[in-house]
Amino acid sequence: MFILKLLSTYLKVNLQQDLAYRADAIVNMVMSIIGTGWDLLGLSIIFANTKEIGGWGPSELIALMGVWRLVNVMMATIVWPNTEKFNTGVRDGSLDYTFLQPVNSQLLISITRIVIWRAFDLAIAVILIIVGMTGGNVVTSPVQIVAFLALTISGAAIIYSLWITLISLTFWFTKFDNSVTIMAALMDAGRYPAQVYPYWLRALITFVIPIAVATTVPLQALRGELVDLQILGFLAIGVAAVIVSSRVWKAGVRRYSGASS
Amino acid sequence: MQVVNKSLERPTPSAGTDPIVVEGLSKTYQVTDREGGFGAAMRSFVKRKFRDVKAVQNVSFRIGTGEIVGFLGPNGAGKTTTLKMLSGLLHPTSGTARVLGFTPWERNSGYLRAMTLVMGQRNRLSWDIPAADSFLLNQAIYRISDADYKRTFDELNELLELAPIIRKPVRNLSLGERMKCELAASLLHRPSVLFLDEPTIGLDISAQVRIRAFIKEYNRRSGATIVLTSHYMADVTALCERIIIIHHGQLKYDGKLADLSRRIAPFKLISVTLGECSDCDLTPYGTVVPSESNEASAKHSVQVKADEVATITARMLAELPVIDLTIEDPPIEDVIERAFHE
Amino acid sequence: MFAIYKQMWLVNWAEQWQYRANLLMYLAFWLVSPIVYLAVWTTIASAQGNINGLTAPDFVAYYMMLLIVDIATSDITIHIFAYKIMDGSLSNELVLPIHPVLQKVLVNNLAFKALQMLALVPIWLILYVLYQPVFSITAVNVLLAIPAIAFGFLLQFFAGTTITCISFWTTRAWSISDFYSNIFRLMAGQFVPLALLPAFMQTASQLLPFRLALYFPVQLLLGKLSIEETMLNIGLQMVWCVILFMLFRVVWRTGLKKYSAVGA
Repeated sequence: MFILKLLSTYLKVNLQQDLAYRADAIVNMVMSIIGTGWDLLGLSIIFANTKEIGGWGPSELIALMGVWRLVNVMMATIVWPNTEKFNTGVRDGSLDYTFLQPVNSQLLISITRIVIWRAFDLAIAVILIIVGMTGGNVVTSPVQIVAFLALTISGAAIIYSLWITLISLTFWFTKFDNSVTIMAALMDAGRYPAQVYPYWLRALITFVIPIAVATTVPLQALRGELVDLQILGFLAIGVAAVIVSSRVWKAGVRRYSGASS
Repeated sequence: MQVVNKSLERPTPSAGTDPIVVEGLSKTYQVTDREGGFGAAMRSFVKRKFRDVKAVQNVSFRIGTGEIVGFLGPNGAGKTTTLKMLSGLLHPTSGTARVLGFTPWERNSGYLRAMTLVMGQRNRLSWDIPAADSFLLNQAIYRISDADYKRTFDELNELLELAPIIRKPVRNLSLGERMKCELAASLLHRPSVLFLDEPTIGLDISAQVRIRAFIKEYNRRSGATIVLTSHYMADVTALCERIIIIHHGQLKYDGKLADLSRRIAPFKLISVTLGECSDCDLTPYGTVVPSESNEASAKHSVQVKADEVATITARMLAELPVIDLTIEDPPIEDVIERAFHE
Repeated sequence: MFAIYKQMWLVNWAEQWQYRANLLMYLAFWLVSPIVYLAVWTTIASAQGNINGLTAPDFVAYYMMLLIVDIATSDITIHIFAYKIMDGSLSNELVLPIHPVLQKVLVNNLAFKALQMLALVPIWLILYVLYQPVFSITAVNVLLAIPAIAFGFLLQFFAGTTITCISFWTTRAWSISDFYSNIFRLMAGQFVPLALLPAFMQTASQLLPFRLALYFPVQLLLGKLSIEETMLNIGLQMVWCVILFMLFRVVWRTGLKKYSAVGA
């Protein structure tokens, strides 16, 4: 209840802030439509030269693009803006104030800045997923849809946890404050099914920066390629990631205050 | 623990329970040394040199309810480190502290709701949004009820004249306006202990005076305990009866500001205005203090030991063409300067 | 004159060396997408034998070469300069007796490039062992590639500085920069060798300058161009450099006028 109230206050304040830059928001929405068109153009170039890639057809790649955009929405609304806030806070010392507030600091640094208009991309993502799912001739069962949704959420949670872990590392390695960039760099690899990549890149985006777990895996569930045990396994990893990352954050905060150095 | 306080006015807790009790507090940092240049960068990549810096060493003091204590020392003396430990941001290397019965660095949320830290050089308020929005966030974070919020805000508004400035984005405010908002944001939850680190830094004189007056009035109304650091002696003389001097991390003085000169610098200044006297030499009477006014002025100051004031005054009156003579305490800046270097 | 550049270089190098950990992160930005596209196209090419005559080894050679040229000709001005215009810290640089863009940002760019290249070497060698690309490089091509890459960089540098200068008027320079990168991705050959684009896009890419900064030097190094084609393209590069430089000067001067009028 308290968290909801806090969250809604943050949303309200951020919305006001974004409204001050209405024109920017509109420009950026137009940019994301153009970007989507551009990505579709890229896909059309690929499929002008081939019928399938790694066993995936055009409509499945469109759906994958939708899921990829879904992860990107989370990145753009929460992860990148708050990373920027966090890094500024570390540099100018205003992060201190975060720890003086009687609220879970991990929650606080995750919601300080929310770029709400980015949620517009959510609509594009959902449209792409629906178009991709109905365009193909694969029959999808309700169970597969539920598994898809659950794995999308747990995939997003894994990416979020990785982010928390990476920014926590700043407490140990101050020069490491741009480690989050590596997530941005590898995001591009989520545009295509992981099966396409050489094994080392597949391993990298499955185990190290698990962007594939948040994109390819949910779509595999939708295609009915995963057995129940695999689905449950990925969900368990999601829960574990959230728990471990919040431990790392707490350890980082202890380190920051000199309690463990 | 929820600190219940319906108004800035609050009853004083029973005597004997000092809100701030510090014993043997020490903090040692490890810092990396690095020289400039490419070669040094290469070497430090391979092997880092660490050095211990004793920022605070074995500091102990108690502060009573409603006191305003000035925390003084030159740059790097350990003031900010101590304040950070007291506000829970830093964990000490050794020693204990109890503030309002809490151990600060456990960061109990009851403690966080009962205290505040204002750092003049750091922004609590977000630059991009109006202060009013940051106030709302604080209301949510500190779980302040609408009624309490309104009452506190009205009172702060009356003291700080916030209304005209809180709708503008903070980046567009002047330094003085911003500090008003910073203070207000830090006080919305009616803390009973305030740590103010350089609250007037960089402000112009009139803004300093206003902030000072506000702190004094807030203390009078709420009975809050305030620990303050400042580079401006005027802040200290106007607000603090008691001061704590810390230098090289060690406590040098803890007591009344008025007693400081007696203990640290048992001197008085004798200022004399002389009549026609071309070759009058004041050096036999004491240390001549370079006068601030121009050379032609006939006013001179001599620093003498406190217990010799009477004899030397008599001698001067007898031997020199004195027109006017006053005996003063040395300026507090000089006294504190002496205390640092003692 | 050169003493200034030398000193700036030394300072920049030392400064950026401090951030070597971050540098590796930024390098990942340059590496990941070529490797992704490399994977996508080799997968397709090996499934079908070839695409328009390009075999999997051709794609490997193309993207491996692209990794080097992309770093050599890319420009980072918007990342290191736009915020200075927006937050007013440009003022600190305007009082210095050096040009904030044509000297400082340029040297910044070069120092960053040098470090990136240094970091690329081991990664590139690993990729070389993994993919074993076949290059047919001649000394003439390498010699010609030097001006081709230099002009390719200048072309992107002037385009990048012009876009960055839009920050004098609006906070949307970043969007425009993103837009530029998007077009560049398709029209300069980052996404796919231009020969595989649909006909109308190929025509467009020939007319636009983007390919001169990436596709052209890559093709040159892969030995796909005749001397005449190469000379023609270098000539085109020079023309575009002059045009973009003039454009930069106009935008910079009017922008500065506006900046100083506001008194930021």
